[in-house]
Formats: sequence, structure tokens, C-alpha cells
Amino acid sequence: MINKDLSITFLGVKFPNPFCLSSSPVGNCYDMCKKAYQVGWGGVVFKTIGPKSYFIDEVSPRFDKLNKENTPFVGFKNMEQIAEHTLEENLRDLRKLKEEFPNQVLIASIMGNDEQTWEDLARMVTEAGADMIEMNLSCPQMTSHAMGSDVGTNPELCKKYCQAVKRGSSLPMMAKMTPNITDMVPVALACLEGGADGIAAINTIKSICNIDLDKKIGLPIVDGKSSISGYSGKAVKPVALRFIQQMRQDKRLKDVQISGIGGIETWEDAAEFILVGSRTLQVTTAIMQYGYRIVEDLKNGLMHYMEEQHVEHLEELVGLANKNIIPAENLNRDYIVRPEFDLDACVHCGRCYISCYDGGHQAIVWDEVNRTPSVNKDKCVGCLLCGHVCPVSAISKGEITIKPGRKQDPKKIRL
Amino acid sequence: MDKKYLEEIEPGFSPLTIVEEASRCLLCLDAPCSKACPAGTNPDRFIRSVRFRNFKGAAEIVRENNALGAICARVCPTEKYCQKGCSRSGIDRPIDIGRIQRYITDFEENTKMKILASGKRNGKSVGIVGSGPAGLEAAYMLNKLGYDVTIYDKEKVAGGMLNFIPEYRLPNRVVVNEIKRLKDLGIKFELGVSVGVDLPLNELKSRHNAVILGVGYSYGKMLPAFEGNRNVILAVDLLKKIKARKGNVKLPENILVIGGGDVAMDVNTSLKLLDVNHVTDVVYEKFSEFKASKKELEGAQALGVTIIDGYVPEKVKGKTVTFKHREIDATIKVKADKIILAVGQRPDVTGLGVELVKGEVNEGTPYVTKDPKVFVAGDIANSKYDKTVVGSVRTGKEVALKVDEAIRSGRAK
Repeated sequence: MINKDLSITFLGVKFPNPFCLSSSPVGNCYDMCKKAYQVGWGGVVFKTIGPKSYFIDEVSPRFDKLNKENTPFVGFKNMEQIAEHTLEENLRDLRKLKEEFPNQVLIASIMGNDEQTWEDLARMVTEAGADMIEMNLSCPQMTSHAMGSDVGTNPELCKKYCQAVKRGSSLPMMAKMTPNITDMVPVALACLEGGADGIAAINTIKSICNIDLDKKIGLPIVDGKSSISGYSGKAVKPVALRFIQQMRQDKRLKDVQISGIGGIETWEDAAEFILVGSRTLQVTTAIMQYGYRIVEDLKNGLMHYMEEQHVEHLEELVGLANKNIIPAENLNRDYIVRPEFDLDACVHCGRCYISCYDGGHQAIVWDEVNRTPSVNKDKCVGCLLCGHVCPVSAISKGEITIKPGRKQDPKKIRL
Repeated sequence: MDKKYLEEIEPGFSPLTIVEEASRCLLCLDAPCSKACPAGTNPDRFIRSVRFRNFKGAAEIVRENNALGAICARVCPTEKYCQKGCSRSGIDRPIDIGRIQRYITDFEENTKMKILASGKRNGKSVGIVGSGPAGLEAAYMLNKLGYDVTIYDKEKVAGGMLNFIPEYRLPNRVVVNEIKRLKDLGIKFELGVSVGVDLPLNELKSRHNAVILGVGYSYGKMLPAFEGNRNVILAVDLLKKIKARKGNVKLPENILVIGGGDVAMDVNTSLKLLDVNHVTDVVYEKFSEFKASKKELEGAQALGVTIIDGYVPEKVKGKTVTFKHREIDATIKVKADKIILAVGQRPDVTGLGVELVKGEVNEGTPYVTKDPKVFVAGDIANSKYDKTVVGSVRTGKEVALKVDEAIRSGRAK
């Protein structure tokens, strides 16, 4: 079995591998984190510890999920807030975990409701032995508007609280961003100005997953009512990658160290987050669905990817895709690449024809006798929707045509 | 008695597996499944409804296209029809269309949907002889077209050949429910009346504007060598008896079956499910030319039926039958407690005024007879469709249109 070094340094702390539990129900107590460490997670972001005065009172039930066809958990909705254990219990757990797992990284997630509580919490988790602090500025389902994502959309408040945390602790600190905002950059910059060393992104997206059609209530139903709350899982991955990319492409943030979060389930998802600039990766939803054991394939798959990429250190992969994601106005618009049909692989379902007609440019010609597609070059604009709907991947990028009046060498175009 | 015979041998889909199966469907442009369904049940359309979670819409599509949708879902040899050209076969295996249809019709039944509706009455009436699949489908179609329909059957229970199909494949309740839907539309049933014997055809003709003869191949064929042998039972008689008595039939330990069609497989499997120890089936056809559906053949074999292909019965003496191989020099002798002959069926058209050529009324045009008021459907119709339930359903649809046309044009009065 392959064995490669997956270690990476993030905010000065060495992680044995980039995979961490995110601050959530999956890192709620000593026993859970212990098991996660034992299974091989590189780090744990312990479930957010709040101020003593803030009473956590959860609803029941508290989750919902979005399905598509026979795939459950396309997306997941969570109404749980922050750690419900007492401050003393949480600190005791942190202490115990650090003692027993000194080589794996322990990150304390904290959330205050004013400068003083932020500072106090930072001091307490530092004393308890945490290696790093994550500021939760982004939980979308808090019952207080002085906490969570309402704070995370306000750059000034974020900066002030970052400063407070830095007064309470000298540990490396990352600020966790909310995606419930048009542009994350001003908030990230404010946090860095306030002293944050890095950024964690993204927290969950405010959502309504489903409505009960008979009762006319959002799900989950809590005594006849429901609320908007955070959405996570595979469905949010594209949103997370976009926010991380946008931060990395801002020149003020281009070197910022990021912990990537949002729908990571497989090593491929993990590699994508690394390629857009994440150094560590945090996971919750996939663990809630499948358990801590998923880290085995995350790690092994990532090792094989490194091998294929001839990479010895994970760090070499960080941010490699950033430069290849550019503003739309800068893309080469001088050519068309038309589909090529592999008729041996074709199963003759005609889905390409349907989608091209109803969602494209009526450019596929259907041979009714042989049940085979071909392309009408005059009509095809090279959108390649057909390739996406083909169930057997029998449609690939074919001939390149340069648009009239444009000067390009088709051989030099990278498909 | 073991309950195996009374339970459907193939499990139905669950709410989870129906979605999985429907998701496998490629939702083709020119779906081969729908083109291949003799009954026109339109599988590509109802699978798409399931895929988009419209189960009620799916039930409407099945039911409006096929009044025997729940029956066909269970007994149709889908491998020969809808599933044969399934595009998904290009990836792995065809969509299990029969089972999807079964889920939909079970849903329809469980949610007590009322889908079928009568057409506006036109004051005309049609009498149908035979309450098998052809007669039932014709009745539904004619009712929808506005006719008052009465179905006559010599048996006391409606359903014709459907009552021969074993319980594990087609539960009686499904047939009863299907017929009840038709009764609810106002279609009348006169049972225990043998038209042509108890009730002259002329009487029927005077009662109705047109008459459809939908008599099936409900009698088993006898082979001359077995005539008069007390140990011989005809397959259809046995199947009917087992089904009517819900499996409570005394059977010996060792039974010989002769025949290789679907009826023979029904006998084989029924006997095994009723715990007959030795079931030996000797078949004229070789496996490569078998008539029975592959699924039924494999089902019988899986239950431990000994099937010997390529042999012809040569000599019968009491309980012992000697067979010779069709091509090579080989002889086998089987001694059994009972001998079941499953070598084909025949109709009985006594008193119905039609002449049969090779078991069919052949006037050049399908469904018509020499009498402009009398039509034929089902097994005895000279149609291009197989003598299966689904084939009969199709003839029922077509004869209904033929009758409507004849009455409206005044050819039948």
C-alpha cells in the first residue's frame, strides 16, 4: 500500500495530514475526537466553545437533507448551534486530548458575544493546551444576533473581535468566514488587520432544504414551525471553491493561508480545495453520513494523486489552479470546439439530441434508423452540453474551428 | 400446505429500489421500450413520471393505456418486448420495466386511485364472449367509446386464461381488482353461461349491435398415445384447479411433465412450490429452441425441476413413458405417479358459427368473420400478435376499434 508524507505546515503548526474535523457535531466531545485521531485525522477543530453566559438550547429534530434521484445527502441542513457542554467540560476535554495526542493538531473553535468574552475564551483554550484557535464568525443558526454569521458579515466587528482574541492568546489564529455575503474579501482583510493569521472558509449557507407539502412547513418541523439554517455537503463545494479562489486572486490576500471547508467527501474534492489554495481541509457532513473512517480513503487517494503528479510534498500542490481561473473577459473567445461522437461507445439513447434541441442550438442530427447522433457544423456553437448529458461519456472535444476573422493557431489551443 | 405457492415469487420494488431502478433509465429520445409494447402501455412515459416523482401520473399512463396494467406488469414476457431493445443494455442490463409497472399499479391500488372513466353513452351495445384478457380490454375500450358492454363467460369466475396463471406469478386478487375496475365502469358480466350451448349466438346477436368472440385456447391438447390413460392430467386443468383451491391439492411424490412452453414451466414451478419431490419435464424442443420465457425456465430449474430437452414420447404404458431423442440414438424411460401433458391448448367454438383454420378465424382481415355483426379477438384472432396476455390485450384494443367502426358505418346494426 502506498505511503507518502501528507504532512503540511499551516500557520506555523505542522499537521501530520491536512484532514481535520470541522467545528461541528462531529467534534463534540473527548470520545469523538479521540476516535477521530485514532482513525487518522490530522487535526480536530473542537466544536465551538461559547461564553459561559450563553445558554445552548437545541431543537429536536435538527437536520434535513436534499436528495436527488437515489442520492441522499446531496446537501445537508443543520440547525445545531455550538457546543452544548459546559465550558469546564469542554476545557477539560481539550486538555485531555492534547495530552493523549500530542502529535495531532488540536484547534479550539471559539465564539464570544463581546470583546471581553472573545478575549477570555482565547485565553482559556490556550491554557487548556490548544495548538491553534479558530474564530467562529459565521454560524448561521445562532439564536443571538450578536453571534455567528451576523457578525461575520460586518468587517468592523470582525476586526475588533480578532484584536480581542489576539489580546487573549498568542496562538496562531484563523477566522472562519460566512458565505452568506456577496464578497468575502473585505471581511477576510478586516480579520487579517485585526490580527488573524489565516482564514477558514466556508461555513454553511443559509438555507431551506425542503417544505412539507401537506403541512406547508419547512423541514425539519419543530412544533409546527421551522427556521432558515446552514446548508452543507457536496452541493456547496462549488460555492466554497469560488470564495477561496476569489480571496486568493485578490492581491492583498494572495498569500493568505486557508483552511478549506465545504462538501469534501473524496480525495478528489480534497485535491480541488488544495489546488485553489487550501493548506488544510475540514470535513463534517461526509463524516455525519459515513463516519470518521472516510479519512482512510481521503488520505490514501491523495497519496496516489501526489504520486501521479510526481509531488513529494503536499505543499507543492497548494494553489496551483489559482492562476488558471481568470476573469471571464480574459478568456480566449476566438474558437469553437465541436463534439466528437464515439459511435462504438454510444448506447443510442438520444439524450444528446434532446438536450441540444431543447437546451442548446438544435445542432445534433438524429439518424432515426440507426439511432445515432451526428453534428450539424453550421449550427453547432461548441457549447458541449451534449457531452455532459451523455450517460456513457461517448462525446468528447473534437475539431477546433477558429471564428471568422480571428487569428489563432488551432494547434496551440489547449483543450 | 406450504405458503410458497401463494406468495409472489418475485419481490416487488420498495420506495428506495423503485427510485434506483428508474434512475438507471436513460430516458431515451425514441424509446425502444414503448415501440415494442404490444399493448401500447407506453413504458418510457411512465418510467419518466417515476423518475420525476410523479407516481400518480405514472399510474394514469399505465392504466389509461392498458386496462390490465397490473396483470401485464406481472405476467408479460418483457424480455421479448419492452426490455428487448432497452438502450441501457448497452451499459449493463435492461431496466426492469415489468417490476416498475407493478410498483406503479400497486401504488394505484393502495392509494385507491380511480383512473378509468366511461365515455358518453351512445345507446349501442356490444356482447363479448369470453372474459379473458382480450375480452376485458375490448370491453374497456368499447365502454370508453360509449357502448354498453356485457361480457359472457362459460365459467362462473371471470378472467379466462388469467385464472390458469399460477398464484405465485399472478395473485388472484390482482385479477379480481382489475375486473372490479371494469365492473365499476358499468361493464356487465354474465357468468356461467356458455354461448353457443346454453345461449344461442343468435340470441346474443339480437341483444347487441355487435358480438365479439374472445374465446381463448382454454382446453389442453391431448396426444393420441395418452388418450384414456387414467394417470394423465392436462396442464391447464391442473393449473386451474391448483389456483382455484389456493394450492390445496393432493399431489403425488413423483410427477412427469411433458412440454416446454410457458404453461409447462408454470406446471413445473407450481409443483415444486407445492413440495412435489420429483418433477421431471421432458421436452421436444432443445434448449436452444425453447418456447418458454428464459426467466420461467431458469426459475423452474432453480427450484430443482429436472428438464430434459430434445426427446419425443414414443410409448406409453400405464405410468411409464418411453422417450426417444429426436436426433441421436438415445432412449429414456420415466415412471411417474402422474403424467402432466403441457403440449399446447385449443379453443372450443361449438355453436359460435365460425370455422377455425389452424386455431384461428381467417377471413383475410383480422378480427372479422363472415357475419358482419360478429368479430373475434384474442387467441382465435388471426392477428400478428403472440398468444400471450399482452398480445390478447392488443387484439382487444384493435377489435374494439373495428367494432366501433362497423357500428358507426352501419355495417353492424
